[in-house]
Amino acid sequence: MTHVSIQSLTKVYPGATEPSLDRLSLEIESGELTALLGPSGCGKTTTMKMIAGLLEPTSGDVTFDGRSVLNDKPEHRGVVMVFQNYLLFPYMSVADNVGFGLKMRKVDKAEIDRRVTAILEQVKLPDLGKRKPSELSGGQQQRVALARALIVQPDVLLLDEPLSNLDAHLRFEMRDLIRSLQQEMGITTIFVTHDQEEAVVLADKVALILDGRMKQYDTPDAFYKRPIDESTARFFGGQNFIQGYAENGIFESSLGKLELPDHSANGKGTLTFRPENIRIATDYSQPNTVDATLTDRLYLGTQTRLKLTLGNHNIEAICNPIDVEGLTPGQNILVTIPADVVWLLTS
Amino acid sequence: MSDRLKIFLLLAPALLIIGLLFFGGLLIGLMRSFNYMPVIGLTDPDLSAYKSVFTDREFYLSFLLTFHIAFTSTVISSILAVGAALLLRRQFVGRAVVNFLFQLNLTVPHLVGAIGILYLFSQSGSFARLAAEWGMIARTSDFPALVFDPYAIGIILQYVWKEVPFIGVIVLANMQSIGEDYESVARSLGASRWQSFRHVLLPLIFPGMLSASVMVFAFTFGAYEIPAILGANFPAALPVLAYRKYTDVDLAARPEAMAMAIVIAILSGVMIYLYVRYSRRRIRT
Amino acid sequence: MSAKESIGIRSFRFLTGALLIIWLVLPLIPLAIWSFAHGWFFPNLLPAKWSMRAWEYTFSDTAGVIDSLWLTIGISLAATVLSILIGVPAGRALGMYKFRGKEFVELLILAPIIVPGIAVVLGIHSVFISMGLNNTVTGVILVHLIPTLPYMILVMSGIFANYDPAFESQARSLGASPVKTFWYVTLPAIMPGIIVGGLFAFLVSWSQYILTLLIGGGRVVTLPLLLFNFATSGRNDITGAIGMIYILPGIFILLLTARHLSGRSGAVGGFGQI
Repeated sequence: MTHVSIQSLTKVYPGATEPSLDRLSLEIESGELTALLGPSGCGKTTTMKMIAGLLEPTSGDVTFDGRSVLNDKPEHRGVVMVFQNYLLFPYMSVADNVGFGLKMRKVDKAEIDRRVTAILEQVKLPDLGKRKPSELSGGQQQRVALARALIVQPDVLLLDEPLSNLDAHLRFEMRDLIRSLQQEMGITTIFVTHDQEEAVVLADKVALILDGRMKQYDTPDAFYKRPIDESTARFFGGQNFIQGYAENGIFESSLGKLELPDHSANGKGTLTFRPENIRIATDYSQPNTVDATLTDRLYLGTQTRLKLTLGNHNIEAICNPIDVEGLTPGQNILVTIPADVVWLLTS
Repeated sequence: MSDRLKIFLLLAPALLIIGLLFFGGLLIGLMRSFNYMPVIGLTDPDLSAYKSVFTDREFYLSFLLTFHIAFTSTVISSILAVGAALLLRRQFVGRAVVNFLFQLNLTVPHLVGAIGILYLFSQSGSFARLAAEWGMIARTSDFPALVFDPYAIGIILQYVWKEVPFIGVIVLANMQSIGEDYESVARSLGASRWQSFRHVLLPLIFPGMLSASVMVFAFTFGAYEIPAILGANFPAALPVLAYRKYTDVDLAARPEAMAMAIVIAILSGVMIYLYVRYSRRRIRT
Repeated sequence: MSAKESIGIRSFRFLTGALLIIWLVLPLIPLAIWSFAHGWFFPNLLPAKWSMRAWEYTFSDTAGVIDSLWLTIGISLAATVLSILIGVPAGRALGMYKFRGKEFVELLILAPIIVPGIAVVLGIHSVFISMGLNNTVTGVILVHLIPTLPYMILVMSGIFANYDPAFESQARSLGASPVKTFWYVTLPAIMPGIIVGGLFAFLVSWSQYILTLLIGGGRVVTLPLLLFNFATSGRNDITGAIGMIYILPGIFILLLTARHLSGRSGAVGGFGQI
């Protein structure tokens, strides 16, 4: 169990003017599974390589249980990194790949064989030890890469986009496997991804990094319910933003007065709400019901996306197809934005 | 037009030229080495040329020398080439210059390199002059024989000069397309710098390096002008010996020359086998 | 991967790099100095007297160096053009089609790259006698095809392997004749390959020694033959001058094609022959 602390970690590549990573600070509790989330090129993989000792930070520190590891060579850090494309050594058998780390530590042959067999069983790939990596499916290669990392019992495990190369049905299987192994072995685990769904599904906590800086570090559901700002909300699929003024639990904008869940914030702000939380109304009986014009609709099988105009705002709503049957573009309708689903962003 | 006909027509001129010139030349050489040439009335093949070649001490000395030249040059060049490639994939002051000279060197014919080595390492060459300047030798004959010498040091130096860039450029390209992530994985799994080179990078570049080395071996085994310039008179490298036999005033020596040419061809056949085996494997992985 | 690079490692790299640079240019230096030397006797580190004598001789009408230069250029150009004409179709067949016996055909074409010239040229010589091709420029050009053609085919098959013939179908369906399709669609697409392959085929022919010596029989005196003769007869100053001229096309071609020399392209394979 290792507590990982990242302090003002910064990386400026030689010749670059902008830092690839700008003063990232993060506390990761022992045994926790944390996601570094951000668009490609935001410095996630750079962060991982610096934690693993494969890249030297320009400034800042990385400590494990309070001790700086920056001067430890990568092979002595107790960190193993699993790359996105698995990078199984192509000329070695699966068993040799998995046993690689132990061989480097000069563990004796019989012991390596024993532990390789055990770990291959844990990742549910018994009997594949003699195959070559090229003979495995993507999902199997991913498990071998995971087994190869776990066999050396690292203090910290780093995973680069662990689910992104997998088909939808394999993702859930792999997610369960990673979670169960991680919990069982209690390894502090950090993974990076550009896919918010992957982060939410797998992580205990998510750190969102945009433009080389950390935006928000929170539990997955907080990013949907309580995004810190508009760019964070947008990253998680937020579409609906209305500028206005908040006072005493009431939000005034071009849409008129809307109720807020509480009285805590006052002043200028932006109101946001998830498309899936908007309801079609038949009358004004519910609070926060406003006029809208349906401009377009998109049938997606299990849901229907509606494009609406509320005053001068373009809003998106996601509804159950049955609820919106018969509505046609151009039609004027009523929508309710329940007070308990709105979230106020103040600058 | 069917695909088969199209393929045939596309390939026909090339196969005709290579078939007639290369394999024709090889076949005629083979026939003449057996003293079989119906056109000029030789209708009874025999092994007399091979008998005289294989009972000749000079041939064995020559074969051993040539093998030594090819093997030593190839091994030294391969090792240095890997070292140079390791160096060239890192950033350092002067890297662009080394890169340019590597490529420049590829375009310089072996003959020029051989003459350059001659002027550097002969007993009146630049290094001998330096040694004299520093008072290490008094006369030219005091300088160790590095060219025309029995160990073929000059020849090997020339090949190393030419082939380190050749193998190096191929190995470097190999390393660059492999990238550094495999080594990063190895380091992260607990391998030291040396271990990650030994167990990960080396096996990955080995097939590419081997196929380049095979070309170098075959070339150095069969090249004429380099040992002709830098080699000792006796024993001479096999291609030099074969040429001498072929141009001997005694026409009876020609079949022996052909027999030696066939020996060179057979050895390169073995090299082709290795090349094909390893270049295929390189494609598969 | 650049974690913790000490000053030691950096200066080690710089030093080995410097050593490499010196070693790579070293053999060319005495050649260059000799060409400007007016006698350069042991144990002088540099010539006592400098002169342009060797260069004047080299460029004089009586020396025959200029004639030899034009002859060599002509032979290499002819071998290159023939290699392109024959090699492009063959490269297309090998790069774009799968057929039975393809591996065997590839092996046949690969063989001359690895088997040294001396192994086949003796046999060719005895056939060329009866065909009257010995001691002729034609014979020399033909025999130069042995190293240049396989090499051209190799480069072109690499080009055609990455070439999409659907462009040709598209052109045909838009009304282009086969000839126009080749001229306006295929040729521009494969032109870079033809240029690079052709330049290197030129260099391969340019550097041939033993093939020219035997088939040319001393009558077809290309630059390398002249260079060899001067080198073995002890005229170091003239050797230096011819040597400098002899490496010029390579330098020129290098400057034109440096980015193709990455070793990733099949083109580099041909340098095993030079």
